[in-house]
Amino acid sequence: MAETSFHKPVAKIKRKKSLAQRLSENKAVQQSSAIVLPVLLGVVIFALWQTQVLHKMFGTDVFTLPLPTKIASLFAQNLPAVWINSLATIKAAGLGLLFGSILGYVVAILATFFPDMGKGGLYLVGAFASIPIAALAPVMNNWTKDVSSTASVRSMVSKILVVTLVCAADMTLNAYRGLTEVKPYSEDLMATYAASKRKLLFKLRIPNSVPYIFTALKVSVPASIMTAVVSEYFAEYIVGVGREIRENIVLSQYSIAWVYITAACIIGIVAYALLMLAQSILMKKFKPV
Amino acid sequence: MANAVMERSAQTMDVESKEVEIRVDHLGVTFQDNEGNDVQALTNVNLTVHKGEFVSLLGPSGCGKTTLLRCVADLQEPTEGEIKVGGKTPREIRMAQKFGFVFQQPVLFDWRTVKKNVELPLEMMYQTKERRSKRADEMLEMVGLTNFANHYPGQLSGGMQQRVNIARALGIRPDILLMDEPFSALDEFTKEKLHEDLLRIWSKTNKTILFVTHNIQEAVFLSDRVCVLSPHPGRLSAIVDITLPRPRTLDMRETPEFNELVRQVRDSFEGGSL
Repeated sequence: MAETSFHKPVAKIKRKKSLAQRLSENKAVQQSSAIVLPVLLGVVIFALWQTQVLHKMFGTDVFTLPLPTKIASLFAQNLPAVWINSLATIKAAGLGLLFGSILGYVVAILATFFPDMGKGGLYLVGAFASIPIAALAPVMNNWTKDVSSTASVRSMVSKILVVTLVCAADMTLNAYRGLTEVKPYSEDLMATYAASKRKLLFKLRIPNSVPYIFTALKVSVPASIMTAVVSEYFAEYIVGVGREIRENIVLSQYSIAWVYITAACIIGIVAYALLMLAQSILMKKFKPV
Repeated sequence: MANAVMERSAQTMDVESKEVEIRVDHLGVTFQDNEGNDVQALTNVNLTVHKGEFVSLLGPSGCGKTTLLRCVADLQEPTEGEIKVGGKTPREIRMAQKFGFVFQQPVLFDWRTVKKNVELPLEMMYQTKERRSKRADEMLEMVGLTNFANHYPGQLSGGMQQRVNIARALGIRPDILLMDEPFSALDEFTKEKLHEDLLRIWSKTNKTILFVTHNIQEAVFLSDRVCVLSPHPGRLSAIVDITLPRPRTLDMRETPEFNELVRQVRDSFEGGSL
């Protein structure tokens, strides 16, 4: 009798973990839940939206917040116009991102080569990064008004410049860390090989900065699209996803405005997905810092 | 007893007949602490290391042993005195890439494979791709990591990383190997294995080795001579000849001779034993 009562609890302890615990520890469940849960959230929101529960919750109507099905059908109907405007936004964001990242990286390299000036320069860049886009865009419009006699060209240059400055600041601050925060003793190690400053840059600093470049891009890819959209509000020439959102809200055409909001979201998500893809290909070689 | 004396004098004669590799002359290093006070890291250090000799710098933390090693490698400037390496200044030797330096940490580059890490100093010497590859393979074979050539450092254990570190330092065929507590972060088993490896490699290549450690047993087991440094201010307080025969084996650590030498080294610390 005593023996059985002694054994019973032991057997109970050895019993498998609870279902919830086993599920949360299962690799396959973990991986699939990373996709299933967000999708589920999206479906729930879609359902609330389509059934107008969302409208009741926020005290709005289908005119200011059109139903998803209506947005989708209008999106399909206006596809050529959406495509032209999206291309303008992608061009401003993409070129600005490219120029800004290159400019930012070059500034970071200069700051590493001239540390005395570099430290002060980085404070300046940090201050630059905190200028609101809404302040930068009108200033840039003004500065670029003599660039070309064609309004579409001047506006595009202005937008690209705003995106460039925003992305450059982000890249400089991150890349500088990547170029200078090397493993302890690695600079001493290179010194024992009589490495020149140039060798030190190419063999140690630049490879070390690669993960930091991606850290910068994770912020500046979405930021470049946001910046392009916002600078379109202020641009002289009427084109781009951001400008269409504004124009249509002004004209109380909320459904069309929502079509362009959707387009902006798609551009952002696709750009981020491309970045993640590039990172997984380039960075699989070594573990990031 | 007479036997021991004879052995000792024989070795002393042997050392004297050898060429001088490193000569440290009245070396002093002073730096300023956070409050701006002068701190003497090293004062009046005189030391002669001969070609092919294995010399340990032993002492507690803060005794300046690493500072001394860094001065020899020209990673740090002495404030007083001078160092000559093979009749030249440490800078000339460093610029000629004659030093192999093994740091306390492996300092491997995460973005390079094990083999590419070993090839790094050879790239710096503008060696051809074929020569680099051949040399790196040889070195990895010597430290027993041939199968890990294409792994990345993050995939290796601490002991294996340190072996890559040693392979990289030896790959450039340095005249002088400077080692800064290379095994202090490793477990006993790995450490013993690497001690044997190091002695085997040293006996094959006959490098001059200057080895920094705070472990008395390690210093006695590996070295021809142990230089005992004492702190506050950092100074060379004694040099003990290690008369154990070579090749050294791990079971020599159990012998009375070994323990006697360990006691002798411990007694030579100034300002109390460790």
